[in-house]
Formats: sequence, structure tokens, C-alpha cells
Amino acid sequence: MSHHPSSRERAPRDGSDTPDGGRIKVGVSDLAVATGDETVTTSGLGSCVAVALVDRSTGVRGLLHAMLPNGTGTDTGIERPGKYVDTGIETLIAELEAAGASADRLEARVAGGAEMLDLTDAVGPRNVARAEQCLDAAGIPVVERAVGDGVGRTVRFMADGRLVVRAADGFERTL
Amino acid sequence: MRVDVRALGACNRLAERGAEQAAGALTDLTGTDLSVEVTGASVASGEDLAEAFAGRESIGVSVGLRGGLEGEAVLAFDAGNVDALLSLLPGGASMGRSAVSEVGNIALGGFLDGWANYLGTAIDMTPPRYFEADGAAVLPDGALAGDGVFLFESRLDATTTDLDFSIYMLPDSGKFRDLVVGKTAPAAAPGAEGGAGNDGAGSTAVPYESLSTFASLAKRGSANAADNIAMMTGLDTTVDVSRLRFVPLADVPAEVGVEPHAGTVFELQGEPSGYLAILFEEESAAKVAASMLPSEPDEPLGGMAENALCELGNVMTSGFIDGWANVLGTSITHSPPEFVHDIGSAAISPLVAKLSRRQDYGFVIDAAIQTEGVQTRCDVYALPDERELARALDRLSES
Repeated sequence: MSHHPSSRERAPRDGSDTPDGGRIKVGVSDLAVATGDETVTTSGLGSCVAVALVDRSTGVRGLLHAMLPNGTGTDTGIERPGKYVDTGIETLIAELEAAGASADRLEARVAGGAEMLDLTDAVGPRNVARAEQCLDAAGIPVVERAVGDGVGRTVRFMADGRLVVRAADGFERTL
Repeated sequence: MRVDVRALGACNRLAERGAEQAAGALTDLTGTDLSVEVTGASVASGEDLAEAFAGRESIGVSVGLRGGLEGEAVLAFDAGNVDALLSLLPGGASMGRSAVSEVGNIALGGFLDGWANYLGTAIDMTPPRYFEADGAAVLPDGALAGDGVFLFESRLDATTTDLDFSIYMLPDSGKFRDLVVGKTAPAAAPGAEGGAGNDGAGSTAVPYESLSTFASLAKRGSANAADNIAMMTGLDTTVDVSRLRFVPLADVPAEVGVEPHAGTVFELQGEPSGYLAILFEEESAAKVAASMLPSEPDEPLGGMAENALCELGNVMTSGFIDGWANVLGTSITHSPPEFVHDIGSAAISPLVAKLSRRQDYGFVIDAAIQTEGVQTRCDVYALPDERELARALDRLSES
């Protein structure tokens, strides 16, 4: 057998081909869009921030797990817009629109951005601040947030638009 | 020979895509969702490999490569994992051999498709050969004798089970080595890091021998750290695994996992700068701390345990980086310990974020240290700055 070069790019790892009712896992510096009844999850949010956007009238949802606030002026991250809060939110909005959402109807839930370590000069709070700023600029209201403190979090973005946030100490709340 | 660490990054990307294709194929075969959790690339010497494979049994397929790549590629599952793989397949264990061949063939095909695209030439694969092998016999012929092999390892995550597989590739001299070794990756090729070849690629090309030297240094560091645990706790310790790998930094948190961990993190200053994290699973942390305290603490991971773990972290870190400065001819110091107790991936994410400002891929030294008697285990992750390490390694070859 032979493996020939082709110009076809592989689809991004957004799990959009996952069958309905399944689970879509979003890794660090990653984002995913769901249009069915999948649960979109991301785990181990420390200083990283998760931004969950939903258009309730179409049910189109998306989740971003970004690591750093600003993509502009950096020399990495070309391959992964989800690495940064700003480029990640921009890309997520574009992908949601492509999947049938209307940017005017999007609402946001934000989780993570913990201040995990003194060593790493408050990257968590800066991630949250950048997310709020970008969402505000895009005219997307932040309806709920579970951010800051010194605690890691895992989130599940449900088909009905709720964001279930579980903290490292086991405390769970639904946004 | 010289290894361009940026090109290694591009290889890693290809390996990741290959692993994604393998995951996709397995998802189709099994009806279970599988996703790629971690992919790492490393250059492993024959000696390291022989050691790493001692006592391991592997099952998989091997193929010969002709055309754009010449040599041999092997895809192997740990024998212990094969049951997990087979349990996912419709025919169950009865499918055994043919299922493994099928899965291996599809995965290797996907992996090589990526390479063919990257190289812009076709790669021919001989029909897959199924094997069951003990120890290092799994490796392509000649791997132990020469410079070693390029090793790509991936971990797939299924809802019900974790699956690990490794792809070992031993290309004959030729295009592959030209690509990874000494030359920079073509900037326009898919999978290449943007502009990898243009912006001072020389600063990331390091002599292969220095990389091996540093891998040995990392191994010795792990042994020192283990010795220091033994001294402080009175527990016998062994280093289970110690590897120098080149991985996408974004994958590191997933590698640490979502179990609660406790331990210490340090900032390294000097050349290379970077971070070091020593993470115990919660229960192990409590056991190790208790072994250092004169009496049972009120809380398993309270203030007293925290102090004990910080002290332990301090001596482990000193042990770990001891020798780097001498060999690299630089000065390296570390910050005081900072205690962490959280979801493992959350604890390490700020370190990864900080390093990611300058690089997407990084060298990760990970060592698993185990204590006997009181069963505990900790993982040490050293995350040096890529450019600074490359610079130091380059100097190493000149001296």
C-alpha cells in the first residue's frame, strides 16, 4: 500500500464529529463547538480560564480552555488560537456563527482563572480580566462566573446551556 | 549530528495527527469515543531503550518503509493493555491478533500519511507483520546498536479505559534524518511550526550527543532526588522511569491528570531557567509526610505535612539539578518551594502557561520515584526554557 501526499488538511481536533449524547473533551489551549446534546467538558482548570458561550435559541454552544491572556505580539500559538483568551474567544465566536449561532444572542459563563501559585504572577486573574474585556467588546453578556480563588476546577457544559463547575475540594455549583 | 528541536516539534505535530487518526479509526471500530490525551516525541539511545523495555511485553505490528522514508516503523501496545483494547472491540478476545493488526495498520497508515504530506513524497508500506515481543525485541532492527530511535508515544483516552500505544520509527539515513537532523523544517509544510526555519533556527539546533548527555544528566538527577528522599524519610526508593521528552506544552496538564495531588513547585533561575514540580498523589503525599514527622499529624495534609513536603521538595530539587550547572557550564539556582495541593493538572497549569509565552513545545523531564515498604510514588516534572536549554546544550558540544 502507498501513502500519498494530499493537500487535504485534517479537521481540527474539535470533536465536532462526536455523535449526539456523547462527550466532547476540550484540552488545554483548545476549543470545541457542540450543536447536539453532547456534554462538553474540560478538566483541571487552574490558572487557565474556561469560557462557555451559548445561543439558547439554536442550542449551539462552545467551550474554550485558554491558558494565557493575550495572543497579540507573541511568537507562538499560531497553530492554536485557543491558547490565548483573546484569539480563542474570537475563534470560538466565529465557529459558533458558522455552526448557526447568532453572535447577538450569545451569553457567556466564565470559570477558572485561579491564583494557584505566587511564582507565576497572577496569570489566572489576568486571564479572567482579559476574558471579561473581550466578551464586553464583543457585546456578549457574562451571565455567571466561578473564578479566582486558589482552587482548581473541572467544568461540564450541558446541552441545556448550564455550566456545572466542580472545584478540587468536591464543591459543585451550576452556573 | 544535530537535532533541530523545532523540527522535533513539527515531528511531534505529525505524530499527534497520526495518533488522532488512530483514535478515529478505533472509535469507528469500537463505537467507543476515544481521544488523544498526550503525544510525546523523544530521541532515545539504545542503552536507555534496553533499560526501559526490560521486563515489558509488547504486542503490535511492524512495517517496512520505502520511498520518502526508508527504514522500519513499529506500533506497539503494552501487552497489559491489549485486553483493554480487545474488550472494546465487537468480537472481543477472539479477534485478538487480527484486531491488533488491523488497528496497528490503520494507525501506522495515518501516522505515515502525515509524514508523506510533510515530505511531499509518497511513502510505501510493506504489509504489516504481527508480533509479540519481550523487552527490547519490540524495537526496529538496529535500534539498540546505533544512535537510537525516534520514539513517538501517545495515550488514548476512552470513556471506560486508558490505552497507551507507542510508535517507534527507525528511519535509515536519508530524508528523515536530513529533515530532523541538522536541517530546518520547510516553513510552508503542513505541521511545521510557523516560520520555524526562518527566525534563528540555529538557536534551536542542538547536537544529538548533547541531547543524549542531557538525558543521562536528567536520569542521574532523578537518582539523586530519589536518594535524598531515602535520606530524609528512611524509606527505600527507586526511580521507576526517567525520560527526556519533547512534547506540546498544552499536553502536560493532561499528562499529570485530574486526580488530586500535593507537592511543591520551584522556579529555576539561570541557564536554563524554567520550572520544576514534584507532585505526589494525595495519599502518597500524606504517607511520605507522615514518615518524616515524629508523630502522626492531626491532618494528613495540614501545616505540618506541608512543611515536611516543602523541606523534602527542597532537597529533591537540589539533588535533581545538582550536576546540571557543572556539566552545562552555567549557574542554576532554585526558588524556595511553593506548596500545592489541588487537581494535578490545575496545579501544573500556571507553570505551563508561563513557559508557553515563549514556546509551544518543550522538553519535559519526567521521573517517577517510588518508595518501598510504604507504597508511595511521586512524579518530577522539569520544564526548562527551550531556547536557553538549546543554547546550553550547544555550548556543551563545543567544550
